[in-house]
Amino acid sequence: MAEPFSNEPIDVEHLPELHADAFVRVDPRYVWGNLTGLAATTVVVVGVAAVIVVTSGNAVAPSVVAGGLVVGLAVVAVVLVLESRRLAYQLREHDVSLRSGVIRHRVETIPFSRIQHVSVGRGLIEQWLGLATLEVSSAGPDISVPGLSVADADRIKQVVAERAGVADEPGDGPDLGLDRATTDEPDDARRLPPPPWPAP
Amino acid sequence: MIDLSEPRRQSPLAIVLLGLRAVRSLGVVQIGVALLFIVRGAADGRLVLVGFVVIAGFTGVSVLSWWRYTFRLVDGELLVTKGVLRNDRLTVGVGRIQSIAIEQELLHRLTGLVKVVIDTAGSAQSEFTIDAVERPVAEELLRRATEIGAARPTMGASDTATSEAAAATTERIVFQHTPHRLAVAALTMSPWAGLALLVPLVAVADQVLEPFGEELSDVAPDVDVNGLGWWLAPVVAVSAVVFVTILNLGRVFLSDWQLTLRTDDDTLRRTSGLLSLTSTTSSVDRVQVLTSRQNLLQRRAGLQDVQLSNAGAGDMRLIGCSDDEFATTATLAGLAHAGELALDRRVHPAEIWLRVRNTLVLAAAVAAVASLLVGWWALASLAVAMPVWWAIRRHVRNHRWSLGSEFATSSRVISSSTRQAVLRKTNAVRVTQTIFERRRGLASVQMVTAAGTVTVGMLPIEEANAVRDVILHGVEIDRRAWM
Repeated sequence: MAEPFSNEPIDVEHLPELHADAFVRVDPRYVWGNLTGLAATTVVVVGVAAVIVVTSGNAVAPSVVAGGLVVGLAVVAVVLVLESRRLAYQLREHDVSLRSGVIRHRVETIPFSRIQHVSVGRGLIEQWLGLATLEVSSAGPDISVPGLSVADADRIKQVVAERAGVADEPGDGPDLGLDRATTDEPDDARRLPPPPWPAP
Repeated sequence: MIDLSEPRRQSPLAIVLLGLRAVRSLGVVQIGVALLFIVRGAADGRLVLVGFVVIAGFTGVSVLSWWRYTFRLVDGELLVTKGVLRNDRLTVGVGRIQSIAIEQELLHRLTGLVKVVIDTAGSAQSEFTIDAVERPVAEELLRRATEIGAARPTMGASDTATSEAAAATTERIVFQHTPHRLAVAALTMSPWAGLALLVPLVAVADQVLEPFGEELSDVAPDVDVNGLGWWLAPVVAVSAVVFVTILNLGRVFLSDWQLTLRTDDDTLRRTSGLLSLTSTTSSVDRVQVLTSRQNLLQRRAGLQDVQLSNAGAGDMRLIGCSDDEFATTATLAGLAHAGELALDRRVHPAEIWLRVRNTLVLAAAVAAVASLLVGWWALASLAVAMPVWWAIRRHVRNHRWSLGSEFATSSRVISSSTRQAVLRKTNAVRVTQTIFERRRGLASVQMVTAAGTVTVGMLPIEEANAVRDVILHGVEIDRRAWM
């Protein structure tokens, strides 16, 4: 028997808020993984420039190009460090959120009920650093949470899979404090604020 | 009753269609160049021999592909085997089928066969195609898929409709466009899509136009093309507009002839086509986003283009809809029509400054470069800021959005558009902030569905966060089927 559907007016004052301070930042080792890849790229760029200088005898043009690329890579490194610090996730009773972006801040939330698939992947550098990436897929967008410790990634994957109903064998799952995420929150005013300009 | 439980092959006509598809995969331009070589006699005997070998190869592969391709429907699953060098077995739960389109291209119409295009969730492309099959088989496949899909709740569906109930419902016509309506729709829409008909000609334009140039030189050798003057420009422009309008009229008649929308309350079916008949079916639950667009001419004619974005590849575009037809379509798709939406909220006026500033920066860069070529006249490019300012100001003034059981936006500058989606269709919600928005405490909200996004930018960050929370709450409290 299907549950009868109702759609009564609700008091938006009591809607749970996505608290900014409840985001969990990814493992600090994640930034080292990114910087390692960038350092390898820098070494290749400088090496290629050195080979060109030695073989051609023209030192100016390759040096200028390589120098420009190295400066660009340095800027990318700064952005990567800042982005790693901003990268964070938040699990609540009914959804998972990812905070990302340095220049363009972004908070993306996928309700558990819309998750189609969840998986954990580990690249070479991640294996070296003991990290993993959690991939959460929906019929629309996907969320990728890199920089998780392997244990955290597996635990979160298990919890998300169970709550999304996509796990093969649902278990009890570890206590990640999800039940406290919204029930203990204060009932802050969650009303659509009036627009600061006159109504049409 | 047609038995679909035994493996079936496509009609032998599929060999021709598979061969044509393989040839098309070589590229229209390449084929055109090869044909020109042959026609002009530039190809020697060996090249012709290679051509015959290639054709024989394609024929052989097509026959093998046809022979190896079988399909059957067993226990609610569509089982397809295919592959020439390897054996591919594809199993698709019928309940996961997003849409089934029955199409009739020219060859099909001559032989009374149809093409079936089946699309499932999780792929932007059609999952697989049955190139040529008898119509009763296709209709039985469609009937069984609709029956099973309606009987089996899918992806959060709580609809308890039974197969008997689904079978009992009868399809009815919602609307059907007359040739007059199609003509009005074609003449009022932007005509540039008609240029698509000319794309194949562009590839061989030189070869096609060369004989005409030679004939023109023979007939009027004294004509100096460079001396015709600027007064030809408006004549050429008007001629071009008339030309593309006629082309677009032809395109619309070819693709949308007898455009019909049917429904049995659970599904929507769109059929159209003059030479190639296309039939696209999708369940109502799989409609994710409804978009309507109306330009100035369409507004005067009282028509609008409507698009139903569905999960999978079965989008339905309904051109030339009247207000009543739009309202009926929206209602059938479970959405409110524009007249019912209380679009009473506006975006922040900072958007005007942002866009005008960006335009000015770009125009200044262009002016700086152009000043090297034309001197101070280059500063005239900055004047573009005025129409941009006017358009953006008008856009911001008329841009409305609302959040109830649906998230909806509308905008109107010269053309107008509305875009709306029911909250339960949400797959994700994004709140983003650019540097410009952060400095002013603003943000954008994107409600992402399985088939499109509804976006509202330039909201106060508190309002954007509240919109996100309301949408997420709406997802949780509404347990009806979302796909």
